[in-house]
Amino acid sequence: MSARITAGHRMKRVLSMVPWLVAHPGVAVAEAAARFGISEKELLDDLNVVWLVGLPPYTPDSLVEVVLDDGRVWIHYADFFKRPLKLTPAQALALVVSSDALASVPGADPAGALPRALDKLAGSLGLDTTERVDVDLGIGDPAVLTDLRAAAEAATEVEIDYYSYNRDAETTRRIAPWRVFADAGAWYVDAWCHLANGERLFRVDRVAALRATGEPSTHLPGPDAGDAVFHPDERHPRVTLELENEAAWVAEYYPTESVEVLDDGALRVVLAVTADAWLERLLVRLGPAVRSVTTVAGAPADLAEAGARAAARVLRRYD
Amino acid sequence: MSKLERLLNLTAVLLETRRPLSAEEIRTQIEGYPPPGPSFRRTFERDKDELRGLGIPLVVERVPGTDPPIDGYRIPPEDYHLPDPGLEPDELAALHLASLAVRLEGLDDTEAFWKLGGGAAPEGAPVAPITEVPSHPALVPLFSSISNKQRVRFRYNDTDREVDPWRLDFQRGRWYLTAFDHSRGEERNFRLDRIDGSVVVDDVRGSATSEPPLADGRTRHSWEYGEDEPVTARLRVDAVRADWARRQLGDDAVVADDAEATTFEVEVRNTDAFRSFVLDLLDHAELEGPPALRDDLVAWLRAVAAR
Repeated sequence: MSARITAGHRMKRVLSMVPWLVAHPGVAVAEAAARFGISEKELLDDLNVVWLVGLPPYTPDSLVEVVLDDGRVWIHYADFFKRPLKLTPAQALALVVSSDALASVPGADPAGALPRALDKLAGSLGLDTTERVDVDLGIGDPAVLTDLRAAAEAATEVEIDYYSYNRDAETTRRIAPWRVFADAGAWYVDAWCHLANGERLFRVDRVAALRATGEPSTHLPGPDAGDAVFHPDERHPRVTLELENEAAWVAEYYPTESVEVLDDGALRVVLAVTADAWLERLLVRLGPAVRSVTTVAGAPADLAEAGARAAARVLRRYD
Repeated sequence: MSKLERLLNLTAVLLETRRPLSAEEIRTQIEGYPPPGPSFRRTFERDKDELRGLGIPLVVERVPGTDPPIDGYRIPPEDYHLPDPGLEPDELAALHLASLAVRLEGLDDTEAFWKLGGGAAPEGAPVAPITEVPSHPALVPLFSSISNKQRVRFRYNDTDREVDPWRLDFQRGRWYLTAFDHSRGEERNFRLDRIDGSVVVDDVRGSATSEPPLADGRTRHSWEYGEDEPVTARLRVDAVRADWARRQLGDDAVVADDAEATTFEVEVRNTDAFRSFVLDLLDHAELEGPPALRDDLVAWLRAVAAR
């Protein structure tokens, strides 16, 4: 690390630590160091600079006074640093986003310390109300989310009625929830699934019903847990799609085997098909943005017609 | 004389001064600067950059009574000092836990917590991170312009917009802006990832003059973010997916409900986005109206079926 970065980093810390020490006269050095996440020696090194700071003419009475006695510290005459520097907009936003997101998680206490903190914070940032930023991590039945989190914490199993999007069918399965998290606007639970006899990721908004069993989990997360995002393997058939520009997001959104840019800017991508309903939905939704569908050697030939077949099936409702 | 000491002294002097100080005054008052000349100017330039990089509001003003004018420097205390939010210990701890559970992508909040009075994370069980909320280059400038009531300009849907930002919403994994669009004379919603290029923030605080309405707490959908003439769509969803659709669309959207299916009515301003939602339900749903939307969907499906 260069000296320049070190000076800037220490400067930030000193500008925040001095006001706190001024406001807490006689605090133990050890406590102050712990608060700012540094060692006592680092804190004393910072204080060694602070007592050289002051205003012209830099006579002893115009300098900051630092008193160290019996492991305690007092700072006097540091009026110019009586308050810390304002939060940068990015720092303020990060705090507001974290606290608003957590405060609006289904099941959170609306009168708890977090909403109160957010309210005070918004006021000091010049926001007239906390409603100027609203973070919604995902839709989920509050009761289901709460039960899943409780089961994950207690390491007990639950039974769920689950709509499988890939198979377009509902199943009942017993799972051992490991971790509940949100990603890209949806809640997920990473769990051991007894039906699949393996680790699976479930979307909380597709859990139609949940029954707690109260029984301890027979499978606990191993060191590789959290890797449950589906990885296609050799058994899955492959298709090649030629996509117009407007459908280029497909190549970023789904794991692709290969992506090739054609002369006119269109994309040729090879995708593994993990479930027929998944391919049907993709093709029906993309519509004319798909130029062609062909199967890769080894895949059932009729997979190329998955979109047309699904569209015909949906059309029967409109006859 | 360390650089840290010089920067701290510079900050203290510029915070304390009532009138802007010239570079020469600063050089003579603060120890550790080289004699006048190119070397001093380089060092002073670097120090100014360093302070600004830390977020210190260093302003440049004309030194009073100078002709030709000479640049002077000061730090207005009211722009520097963080107003005390008066957080109780449990509130600070709650903020800490929240920042461990939900992070905003690319932002480290160590420094923010130093400013709020330090505080290592509270004792107790480690918090399992719940998520990282994605960021966007326009996010911080828009947030800042909401706090300062500043008007902003950007390009969206091939049109230059001039808007008063009202609210930022993160929903379904995306950031949205609600704003008063002066170019259209009404409230509009924008997806941040569709903003073309950068956001230009008006220098003047208070330049956003429209009065923002309070949030209604309603979840918004992709098909509400569009320029199409709004229509009310009627969607019948089979029981097998009705609960899921109800969670997505909300109880208020339900107009009929029986053992076989649930019927919803929603306002659509973006036909493409709504068609995509309907098709995601495959043959478990039927778009009953209005006729124009239904015809569009049927034509779309026929084209796909004919391939």
